[in-house]
Amino acid sequence: MTLRRLLTTGNITFVAVLLLLLALPAFSTAFFMGFVMTQTLMLGLAAATIVFLSAYGGMVSLAQLLMFGIAGFAFGNAALEAGARGLSLGWPPWVAVAFALLFTTAVAFLLGALASRTTDIYFLMLTLVYGVIGYYVFAQVVPISGPGGVTRITPPPLLATGIRLYYAALVLSALAYVAFRLIGRTPFGLALQGVRDDPVRMASLGLNVPLHRTLAFTLAGFVAGLAGLLNVWWNGQIDPASISIGPTLVLLIIAVIGGISHFEGAWLGAFVYVAASNYLRELPLVDRIGITPDRFNTIIGAIVLIIMVLSPEGLMGTFENLRGRLRRFRPPPRGGSAAHQSSVDGSRPAGREPARTAENG
Amino acid sequence: MISRDKHPRWLLLVSMLAVLALFAAACGGADEGPATPAEQEAADDDTDADGDEEGTPDAAGDQTVRLGILGQCEGPFGGFHEDTVAGVSLALANFAGAEVSSTTTALDGWSNAEVNGTPIELVGIGCGDDTPDTILGEVRQLVEQEDANVVIGPLSGDEGIAVAEYANANPDVTFLSGIAGSQEPTLEVQAPNYFRFHGDGAIWNAGMGDILHNEEGWDTVAVIADDYSFGHTSAAGFIADFCGVGGDVTTRVFPPLGTTDYSSFVQQLPDPDEVDGYFWVVGGTGTQAALEAFVNAKGDLTGDQHAGNLFFNPDLAQALGTDIAGAYVGGFASFPGDVQTPEIEEYLASADETWETLASGISGGEPGPPSAAAGFGFMYGYYAGGVALVEGLEETGGDPSPEPLQAALADLTVELPYGDVSLDENRSGIVDVALSQLVERDGEIVQETVAIIPEVDQTFGGTFSTDTPPPSRDFPPCEERELPWVGQAIPVEDGVPQR
Repeated sequence: MTLRRLLTTGNITFVAVLLLLLALPAFSTAFFMGFVMTQTLMLGLAAATIVFLSAYGGMVSLAQLLMFGIAGFAFGNAALEAGARGLSLGWPPWVAVAFALLFTTAVAFLLGALASRTTDIYFLMLTLVYGVIGYYVFAQVVPISGPGGVTRITPPPLLATGIRLYYAALVLSALAYVAFRLIGRTPFGLALQGVRDDPVRMASLGLNVPLHRTLAFTLAGFVAGLAGLLNVWWNGQIDPASISIGPTLVLLIIAVIGGISHFEGAWLGAFVYVAASNYLRELPLVDRIGITPDRFNTIIGAIVLIIMVLSPEGLMGTFENLRGRLRRFRPPPRGGSAAHQSSVDGSRPAGREPARTAENG
Repeated sequence: MISRDKHPRWLLLVSMLAVLALFAAACGGADEGPATPAEQEAADDDTDADGDEEGTPDAAGDQTVRLGILGQCEGPFGGFHEDTVAGVSLALANFAGAEVSSTTTALDGWSNAEVNGTPIELVGIGCGDDTPDTILGEVRQLVEQEDANVVIGPLSGDEGIAVAEYANANPDVTFLSGIAGSQEPTLEVQAPNYFRFHGDGAIWNAGMGDILHNEEGWDTVAVIADDYSFGHTSAAGFIADFCGVGGDVTTRVFPPLGTTDYSSFVQQLPDPDEVDGYFWVVGGTGTQAALEAFVNAKGDLTGDQHAGNLFFNPDLAQALGTDIAGAYVGGFASFPGDVQTPEIEEYLASADETWETLASGISGGEPGPPSAAAGFGFMYGYYAGGVALVEGLEETGGDPSPEPLQAALADLTVELPYGDVSLDENRSGIVDVALSQLVERDGEIVQETVAIIPEVDQTFGGTFSTDTPPPSRDFPPCEERELPWVGQAIPVEDGVPQR
């Protein structure tokens, strides 16, 4: 791949945003970095796994927050010393990290295998059931969840400060973003998109459709586990309510706000959600029009409703629409259509929702 | 045609404006503070994002109390959000010269509050939903974004544990518990800057087992309690008390907090002919639903076979009938309305003088008499925190710096209308507890105080300590033990304690 081919609008934008985020701590407050941006990156990373499964595999999963939570509980139980809540195994932090990721990935593999023969609404419902069962497992099996949550969780010393945790979240987010995009061009990713568009045809060609779905779910579980580790280091604790149905839906809402077929949308949706939950109340006079903290869920619900009705591709879809309008004023590139160009520079939606809907319909 | 575009321009504009507005709000008004709660031991050594040394405003000589209040505007106790802010506001109105900004809601805050020349400003009201994650986000916003140096709250048990853990990591901020009644914040977490000028769920049931076993003749009982830290603590207090005097708890059932259909949990309880009684620790929106499930599954509720903690109240009779008369009810931070002393009357009158109406939880969220809210424990717990803050500042000559203020609070005995409160070595309140009974008067069910258990502390006569596990589904076991208040209860007749 030549340098010229790498200099696409999408890649340049990605690098520019990455540089901006790297430099952001120099001119932002500690609260904004340590609370808003770290949370944004962390939730965006988890929501990106929903986008990955949806865009490449045609699987809208409600189990990603469960993977997020399993990793957090696993780390908390493994890393905390005796006397703390949970199993208090007292393992070295990085051993606990490895264990948490392995355990989460193994669970994701098992749950993915069980769900691999379902599609569409049945997959959604099955993963919802996973989420509910997971919540009750942690709520009822108190030796692994507290009781009342695993508290006093600290990150490994390498990530012991807020700014390092922010950079860890940034690096993991950037890696996940690039990896998810690249996977779309690998044989595995292309086969997965084929499964998304026509599983029967792919099976008749000899492809192991359930295995591909299982592996995709496993990979998504691993990445959600990374986000879960960031969460317990950032939050200092995790309890069963952290993975109840409310937060489960929040993760899906984040993906929908940003655009469920755009990887960038996961982080954009997370930023809008986190910023709205923290700063909406700060806007002048909003309380005079009834926008008070206790109505936050109503407001987010209204935002999602508007997006679903007017811009199903979310905020990223709206930006894509703007770019499309701008392109009309430019001459088409030599040797290819605008559509071809956008598919190369990585700016198109990660999935092809209309085609998928039509073919799977 | 533009008019038929799938994505209209105005949507694009609104979306971009919304994001920009949020970004602008995010960047404006933020002050430096600690970066994450995970940054615990290293907090003092860290530098902030700008590379500057972090420093508390008090260290810089700021003599202002920037007060944050942690309420609960959603979740099972979301109806009591107004009560929480009103409690603090009333304390400052009574003792710090505060003028409330509205006579119909406390949520608008106050002005002109000061103690020894030190102003007390309200920097924010946190909006919890009974979950630790949410309250952690809210307290971080108050402390790290709004620069609160004193926080009063939270309301509920699990929230209390999370906030106490946060307090442990932020020693420069002084925390006064709102009305969180779990045992762990003080007995287990033991944050030196977390003060609780009220009791806990176990304390509030002290003496109940003594009455039910020794006076009502109950030998066996089934307990049904919310499955979270306050439910565990409240049930633990009753179990320790009932078993301590020789009773036996045959069944313990723990439905999750927020359950709406209790039928499966009620089925786990023994039938009425298999136990002498039932003790209910189901609160918030679940109390009535749980009792109705019992009626459907096991038959009528009768006052001679049922008792409950603070959530058992006369209003239940509206749905369950007057047969509930006779049931005993555990204590709370305040006393039932039949107990009147000059101090209590003055306190309740001050609430009515401060506001015309309050949309409190006790009036179902509708405008009601402020004194009704003030007489209930949710508002009173926050009031106690506010009074303690004022008295602590008076002790320090108005200095809100963490070290002198926290030292002053630890040694305080706060004079409060429902009894003076001092703190134990873990900074948890040693309080008087009023036990009551639902009785029928002129066809209506009312609550009458039957006894006051004086000076109950969190250790429950040695039952609980830093070496014992926190209250849970299995702890404490049912064992006979010595309890300091057995035989010491002060009877109450016609609302007058017979001290």
